[in-house]
Amino acid sequence: MKDLTYNQAYSQLEALVIEIESDAIQLDTLADKVKQANALIQLCEAKLRTIEKEVNDAVNTKNKG
Amino acid sequence: MPQKIKLSELVDQIRGTLQQQFAGEVFWITSEITNVKPQDYNRPYRFITFIEKEGNATRAQINGVFWSSALHQIDEFERITKQSFVSGLELTCKVRVSFNNRYGLQLEVLEIDCSYALGKIELQRQQTIDRLVTENAATIKSVDGQFITFNNSLRLPDLIQRIALITAPNSDGQRDFNKEIQNNKHEYAFAVTEYLTQIQGDNAHLLILQQLKLIEQSKEQFDLVAIVRGGGSQTDFKPFDEYELCRYTAAFPIPILTGIGHDRNTSIVDLLCHQHKTPTKVATYIIDRNFSFEAELIDLKERFFDRVKSLMEEANSDLNDMKRLVKSLSPSAILNRGFAMITINDRIITDPAQIHEHDTIQTVLRNEIIHSTVTKKSPHERPDL
Repeated sequence: MKDLTYNQAYSQLEALVIEIESDAIQLDTLADKVKQANALIQLCEAKLRTIEKEVNDAVNTKNKG
Repeated sequence: MPQKIKLSELVDQIRGTLQQQFAGEVFWITSEITNVKPQDYNRPYRFITFIEKEGNATRAQINGVFWSSALHQIDEFERITKQSFVSGLELTCKVRVSFNNRYGLQLEVLEIDCSYALGKIELQRQQTIDRLVTENAATIKSVDGQFITFNNSLRLPDLIQRIALITAPNSDGQRDFNKEIQNNKHEYAFAVTEYLTQIQGDNAHLLILQQLKLIEQSKEQFDLVAIVRGGGSQTDFKPFDEYELCRYTAAFPIPILTGIGHDRNTSIVDLLCHQHKTPTKVATYIIDRNFSFEAELIDLKERFFDRVKSLMEEANSDLNDMKRLVKSLSPSAILNRGFAMITINDRIITDPAQIHEHDTIQTVLRNEIIHSTVTKKSPHERPDL
């Protein structure tokens, strides 16, 4: 999950919402879905507020060069 | 020995002759100016040279001067035309022929006609736009007075973090942009890579072009390019109206946002990219865009957990209904309501055919069992049962 982009994580979350909004949702799987959703939300929030390592690396290389 | 006169006498004579000839006369001329030096604020006047060329040959050249009473005309010119008062400019102005004992023959500038300069800039600008549209059909289209370009059609990423910033070193634009970006109240993280260059002056468009080419070499590393500079009436558009720079920005593979400090006017680069007027506005736009996507994320999160909550509530209430039903169907609940149960040898009788005359049966009531022998069986016709 770590390798997802913001957009991918967002789309997955969207899919989860649509899934649990459908009538076919199995209660047994709900705990699992909540866990997944929480992880995706955290990932998106983290992406907004931290710069990934590769970005920093690119910036540093440029400034040195 | 020839008769001699003093220099001042001769100069006086020249001045007298010229004054007589041109007394009270003013002329409107259009001429290129040269030898324009930066204003020395210790001197309440400014010298220039008017020059007329034909090819490489100079056909006429004469000194010109703005005395203190006309100096404000230069500021006005820069303010109105957004052009710097520099050598190479073509100026239309009202002049008087004058002769100064110390500085000699001069054209004294009384007034500058800004409308001429404005008209010329507008004409040049229109010619550049026409050429851009004609020669770059693949990347620039003009639709109802708007320009649809390769660059301004690029989709901005939902989450903007990696910014290439083109700006002048130690400039207001650089400061304003970085301050807004780094101190954003949502604490979004941004990586700003600065590409510093001169952003005004004769060669500025080439220097900006150079920086764009550098950025293009590592285009995967950036979400967008911001070109910013501080405002002020003295700044001119010239670099951003230059054909080569315009053409390059229109076809540039990363979205370009401009904040080049003009509230009323628009350069051609602005028309071809995403215009946001000032450095601060570019930064605010980027932050707001991230915020709008975070708002969507928050919405989605609420939708998810609302649904989880209602699913749990539904399940709970279904379960409660079931409990109540089960309870109301239990034998004790039925007996409590006044019904009885008939058993034979502890077997519940549900079919009357199992009971025969003379059988011993038990009638089970709420608290007691009544033992009895069947004396007679007959059908009943009570429709309410």
